[in-house]
Amino acid sequence: MFVLPPPPPRYTIPVAYAAGAANGMAVPVLEMNNTITHPERGCPLQVGEGTYTLQDDLLLATPPPHPSEAPIINPNPLATLPTPPTTGVKLSLVTLDPRKKPPTFLKSGITVPQFGDENPALAAPPVAAKDAAKRRKPKNNIIKSSSSFVSRVITHETSAKRLSDRDPNGVFAFANINRAFQWLDLSSPTKEEHLTKVLFTKAHMLCHDINELTKTSSHLDIVMGSSAGDIIWYEPMSQKYARINKNGVVNNSPVTHIKWLPGSENLFLASHANGVLVVYDKEKEDALFTPEVNDHSEQEIGRLPLDILKSVNSKNQKTNPVSFWKMANQKVSSFSFSPDQRHLAVVLEDGSLRLMDFLKEEVLDIFRSYYGGLICVCWSPDGKYIVTGGQDDLLTIWSFPERKVVARCQGHNSWVSWVAFDPWRCDQKTYRFGSVGDDCRLLLWDFSVGMLHRPRAHHASSRNRSSIVVPNSQIANRHRADSGDNRVRSDSNETDKFNEDLDQTTSHPVEPKSRTALLPPIMSKIVGEDPICWLGFQKDCIMTSSLEGHIRTWDRPSDSVIKS
Amino acid sequence: MKALFSKGSKNGASNPPATAPPVKKDFQVPQISPLEKRLQDMGPIRDDGSDKFYGMENYGNTCYCNSILQCLYYSVPFREAVINYPQRTPMDSLEAALAKNLRYQNPNAHLEAEALAARQKASSPPSARQAGVPPNPNQKPEDKESPEYKKKVALQTLPILETKNNATSYGMSESLFTSLKDIFESVVGSQARIGIVRPQQFLDVLRREHEMFRTAMHQDAHEFLNLLLNEVVANVETEATKQAFIDKALPPTASADSLGMVPSSTGSKSPNTTRWVHELFEGTLTSETKCLTCEKVSQRDEVFLDLSVDLEQHSSVTSCLRKFSAEEMLCERNKFHCDNCGGLQEAEKRMKIKRLPRVLALHLKRFKYTEDLQRLQKLFHRVVYPYHLRLFNTTDDAEDPDRLYELYAVVVHIGGGPYHGHYVAIIKTEDRGWLLFDDELVEPVDKSYVRNFFGDRPGLACAYVLFYQETTIEAVLREQAQENQAPMAGAAETSETGKANGSPFSPPLAHAQSASQVPPDHTTPFTPLNRIPTAPQLHTYPEEPSEPQAASPRAVQPPLPPIPDEQTTPLSPKKSDHQLRKERRAIEKEKEKNERNRQKEQEMYNREMQRREAEELRRAIEASKADTADLAAENGSPRKSTGFGFLKRGSRSFSHRLSKEKEPRVSMSDMATAPLLAEAVPEASLETEPPVQSPVSPRHFPPISHPKQPKQPIRTSEPLAKDLAKDLVKDQPTNHTRPGHTPRWRSFSFKKVA
Repeated sequence: MFVLPPPPPRYTIPVAYAAGAANGMAVPVLEMNNTITHPERGCPLQVGEGTYTLQDDLLLATPPPHPSEAPIINPNPLATLPTPPTTGVKLSLVTLDPRKKPPTFLKSGITVPQFGDENPALAAPPVAAKDAAKRRKPKNNIIKSSSSFVSRVITHETSAKRLSDRDPNGVFAFANINRAFQWLDLSSPTKEEHLTKVLFTKAHMLCHDINELTKTSSHLDIVMGSSAGDIIWYEPMSQKYARINKNGVVNNSPVTHIKWLPGSENLFLASHANGVLVVYDKEKEDALFTPEVNDHSEQEIGRLPLDILKSVNSKNQKTNPVSFWKMANQKVSSFSFSPDQRHLAVVLEDGSLRLMDFLKEEVLDIFRSYYGGLICVCWSPDGKYIVTGGQDDLLTIWSFPERKVVARCQGHNSWVSWVAFDPWRCDQKTYRFGSVGDDCRLLLWDFSVGMLHRPRAHHASSRNRSSIVVPNSQIANRHRADSGDNRVRSDSNETDKFNEDLDQTTSHPVEPKSRTALLPPIMSKIVGEDPICWLGFQKDCIMTSSLEGHIRTWDRPSDSVIKS
Repeated sequence: MKALFSKGSKNGASNPPATAPPVKKDFQVPQISPLEKRLQDMGPIRDDGSDKFYGMENYGNTCYCNSILQCLYYSVPFREAVINYPQRTPMDSLEAALAKNLRYQNPNAHLEAEALAARQKASSPPSARQAGVPPNPNQKPEDKESPEYKKKVALQTLPILETKNNATSYGMSESLFTSLKDIFESVVGSQARIGIVRPQQFLDVLRREHEMFRTAMHQDAHEFLNLLLNEVVANVETEATKQAFIDKALPPTASADSLGMVPSSTGSKSPNTTRWVHELFEGTLTSETKCLTCEKVSQRDEVFLDLSVDLEQHSSVTSCLRKFSAEEMLCERNKFHCDNCGGLQEAEKRMKIKRLPRVLALHLKRFKYTEDLQRLQKLFHRVVYPYHLRLFNTTDDAEDPDRLYELYAVVVHIGGGPYHGHYVAIIKTEDRGWLLFDDELVEPVDKSYVRNFFGDRPGLACAYVLFYQETTIEAVLREQAQENQAPMAGAAETSETGKANGSPFSPPLAHAQSASQVPPDHTTPFTPLNRIPTAPQLHTYPEEPSEPQAASPRAVQPPLPPIPDEQTTPLSPKKSDHQLRKERRAIEKEKEKNERNRQKEQEMYNREMQRREAEELRRAIEASKADTADLAAENGSPRKSTGFGFLKRGSRSFSHRLSKEKEPRVSMSDMATAPLLAEAVPEASLETEPPVQSPVSPRHFPPISHPKQPKQPIRTSEPLAKDLAKDLVKDQPTNHTRPGHTPRWRSFSFKKVA
């Protein structure tokens, strides 16, 4: 029988502050305001289509520690106490303006089955017609909350007026910084002033997401995952919230990434640091989770590509979780849903990229990083490519239809923390994506279908466009027969054999560097003095956010968007 | 804990828990240390040393030495090579030494001491286990230098292991290598799993031979690593040359003939026996220089034992390594002398790795000379390092250019500058996860703890030397499958603290690990970690009966007078016995589990994989041997004739700007070559001397890292003087000064120019 690990210690020392102090940041003692600056010389990003100009640099104020959690800076640097996971600032952006929606590349009209469609236990209860239009809100008022989890909520004095006066098509941003969670109106002339700031105790929010399906001018469904494992469902307009996975009852490991299931009003997927993916329903109560599938022993954990401890097809769907999948013993770093809403790309600290058909709860393919853990992943807007970034300082482009690595992108000087496609600069043949990393850099990359698929031998003669660089290929295969090659490739044999017993999962070997195309960036720029941890493309701008709270916005060059 | 008190029989067949007296348990339960908790269910003592976790006493700023020694000990191939070269100490000799040198202390000493109001109580050893060895009052530990309470407690309660010169028992004369071997062998041979080593003898030798280390000053751990590796190479080569003369003098034995081992007249030894340091740590760099005037590309190969990389703020070791291979312009003051054009020309230069080392030691250059401050300054840059690594900067014809490395040890420097501070080592042990070695203190830590030393955390602690060892993706996958099962084991431990060791429950890890004795867990298809392919049988291992081609010729060399021949391989029958038994058990197990086809297949497959890996590795090693042999042939006489000319391996610095920065620290590699030439002549002449005299003369060989040592007539009488010195060391282990010796060695010094 599977034994759940004991709960990890609750962290007593807010190390985030200590880490901040080491970086030269003073531990704040007062609640500060966000500040906005317009750097004089700017930080222009020069690429082929023009120059992206830095609009401003919004610095979110790090909140002071809660009085009950005064930072004890341990003088012993060798202290072996576990430290709570922290993360830099990440943003969730939302706009109601249909013109600002990213272009889609998929044929419309294909209906995809919803997650859990086949399970009658998951069918939504019939809703009265008059309630149908009305969104369900969480139960508790966050402002009046007496929860020890929510420390304080600071609303702007004129937030009601600002909300009613604002451009209804403006962009809202939600950002986590340390123990605070801020709601900003980016279209406001005073965008540095938050609308609401929620302060938590005991945990920091590490990730958050807004439901695109349920957003209205009076309703936003936000879920956020914390360093303690608890998840908050928050509706900012009415200031209501609910706490899911309370005290880690379902899974007590930190939430590393959280996303609403595409096309679902209620279900969202959260990845946890102990290698688990859990689907929760925002409306359901928690229950202590015991694995429902026990037909294999402990030793198989970590060997199976996916260990379904609770299936979406389980009869028991009265309480959370809806489904519970153990992927590995290592942290799930991030995941991304495919544009066709059927597949899921998951990257893990163990260095694997796992492609899932999540509707069927199956892992289709396992790829491995060149070395080190993978950190971030995203799909191209047409769903044909997946790009991952990791601790090998590389971005790797994988072809989804061909199930193989197509190129490695070298340009970062440290680990890659976020990658995103720019759908406004992608068409059917060329792709633009950007990446940010611990080296404080923002990099932009272009690749095109024709170049990536040309056989390697032809590459050298076809440098018409900037990108592909071919490592000296004439001698590259000289040592193919030696042990080194076997070493790299032999795992394919192992896994092939291994997988005869296991479903349809294919495990792919690591491609040697001499056989993989290397792609240089079209632009690389140091944009700050602290690691950059998030990147987003909007119709009119590029945005990044950093570890210490700098949110930078670059305006696109005029007429740069590919007309589609 | 249990094993600590049990004098388990030599072959590990007896069960230790039975011998633990119940009286002690009451005392032990409340003070079980985190390390002891991690070491529960270890099974019987192993003979490869992988289950020994010893702190090292700090004699005042000797943490540079302790941290490096620990890192080397936990490099499996290095440890195996050290304890097996030239042969293992005969068991009885080792045991006799251990009986004298290992002193158990009362585990409750500190409690009692505290109870007696800080009056330090004479530590009375548990009588049953002392085998009549009286506690030596002179060895009473004093903890003036370790203010930390835990270290004090450790020093008072854990078994103390003195190391003494045991070199004669394996036929060598005392050197830095033999004192290292003595430490390793006593730890491996000890019956206590945890304890504290007193590396006094090692430090004595070090200080005797290197003036730089005589002061109680803070030393640079990386410099020490480089010196130690070079010194080991030198000692081993000296020994090999000496043996060559002996081999030549004596008629070859039958066994030597059977192996076709005929000592060559040049005195050069088969690389099998002496090149193990090279095979582990040595790599080759190729520098390609392209003259911009005549476009001619010239290549030059250099060997390195470790790599020094320049750091940048917010970077990774990957990027630091790649930066090094970036093209560099040689211009202005730094022009290149082109043989083709004949003159100083502007040129483009790049360094690439042509041969990848099996153990990659990466030195992060945290101490940088700053012009404005006129001194070295510590860089607190955030430099991230992944748990695994491959190299990008390899040449196109490099063998195995995609070799996968895993991080297995990190030396951390704590402090604000290069002239003071503290070193600790964080090391991944073979099967007990990551441990922190802080002098006397050994503590288990999380895997994530390793990442606390990127340089961005408070407390001035930064990674300084990183040790990556070669591994395979299969080994990594196996390990990952087992990782983080530890919390369950932890749960079991906490719930069963104080329970008898015979508890039916054992954490899942234990099964896979103590594979040689515990019946293999039928549900564990993984290879036991102590046989992971990252730790292949070294071909220098003289005791492997199943691989005659790998058996070292050293094992069959004519024995030296004091050592009876039959004592040379006391451990091998046991080892093969274990393997046999294990295999038999595995077969039985398979029969039992016949219905579980999948697992059986997996296991067989794993075994097959192992075989293949071993074979691959052998092939790789042979290939590299062949390569080096070729190289040697190409390079011709200096390598072949003396074996000394190439001994001195510098650490390759990845700094192209070294000269511009005028880094004042005298680098080992800088003084390497020139003075050696002076010595090459007498060495060469020695080798052509008639063999009758030779058994003695190799002792006269100067340690290779004393290039500046003047030739003095006194050295002709050195054997006597050395023996005398040895006696001195034995009699006065704490006497550092030895005024009689100082003048002779003074000439070699590392001056840190401030």
